[in-house]
Amino acid sequence: MGVTHNPLMWAELRNSVPDDLAGVAANFGQFRSVVSDLAPDVIVLVASDHFHMLMTANMPAFMIGKAPMMRAAFPNEMRHFGLSPKQVIGDPALAAHLLGGRDLAPDMDFAFSDEPWLDHSFLVPLLLLTPKLDVPVVPVFTNCNAPPIPTAARFSELGTYLAEAIRGLGSSRRVLAIGSGHLAHELGGPRQFLGTSPDPDFDQKAVSWMADGKLEEAMAATSFDRLTEAGNESYQFLNFITCLAAAGGRAANFAEGTPTRFGALPFFSWDVP
Amino acid sequence: MSRYLVNKLMWEVDRSDEAVEGFKADAGVVLDEWEARTLHPMPPYPEGGTLTVDERRAIENRDYGSLYAMGVNPFLLWQFARAISVPEETSIEELVASFREAAEPHGYPDFFT
Repeated sequence: MGVTHNPLMWAELRNSVPDDLAGVAANFGQFRSVVSDLAPDVIVLVASDHFHMLMTANMPAFMIGKAPMMRAAFPNEMRHFGLSPKQVIGDPALAAHLLGGRDLAPDMDFAFSDEPWLDHSFLVPLLLLTPKLDVPVVPVFTNCNAPPIPTAARFSELGTYLAEAIRGLGSSRRVLAIGSGHLAHELGGPRQFLGTSPDPDFDQKAVSWMADGKLEEAMAATSFDRLTEAGNESYQFLNFITCLAAAGGRAANFAEGTPTRFGALPFFSWDVP
Repeated sequence: MSRYLVNKLMWEVDRSDEAVEGFKADAGVVLDEWEARTLHPMPPYPEGGTLTVDERRAIENRDYGSLYAMGVNPFLLWQFARAISVPEETSIEELVASFREAAEPHGYPDFFT
């Protein structure tokens, strides 16, 4: 599945649900019950750190966290968004498997971290989908904030790779893959906080790529420059290309850009293969 | 232009409650200390680095339009602007509006480092 991680949305949902977020609250309620019914043993969570753990002194394109226990929420996120420090259970064995085992996955060249610290891009979806934080998580960090950003084709390959590696476990473990990201979104630019989407046309197309299973079309229309046109934080849509590829390019069973004061917030899910 | 150093400065200030409060009280003091440290950093930047006069002035004056036009990272810039704003002087609504107005004339500058 694929969901928003907007921390201002999360902060608004903590108490009573404002009118414009009723649809978002309902979608999270629905997705939460899907997760509960699926009863996953582990979650592989693809998200993009926002200069909390990672800065451009060292900026991996794709990085897998493989610690047994991970810190979540950074001090400045507590200050900005009211997040509280949490601990999230990891799954080092699955993380090691995804990295490729004894030899690093040759086509992916992942970086890895033995001390991953999860920011809101990971924590907000977890708080809203598994509020007890009782399902182990393998975090897959993708660079969507510091250009050069990997191409849509690479995000697609990441999805295909993760799905194959998970299938290759050959066990009865139930693995849920979640992508965390945005539709058209802007922060720190002329179109931030407009009270609506910076690019409704992009949102509509993006939702249809998921609803109709149009992976090739999605990849062709999500270059760095086109995503910048949609808004200077729209690069995190690429995490949903990873979801679509992981689902084998199949049509989503639910695809919506839910309108809010923060723009359209994404919700995508696929049938269990 | 030392785009990376400006990004790093904004990143480091926002990460530290102490630096945020220091910057609000006296930006010049925080910048003097930071620049002295950055001039003689540990490897892998043995030659050190410094902000240009324009960069330092823009940071000190909270000139977000100039910083945006220089191609600093927009996300870091907005987080920094939020962090060092003083709500008693500038409401979040005023900050959002003035930031947008400052960025508007510059479109979408390249922010690669």
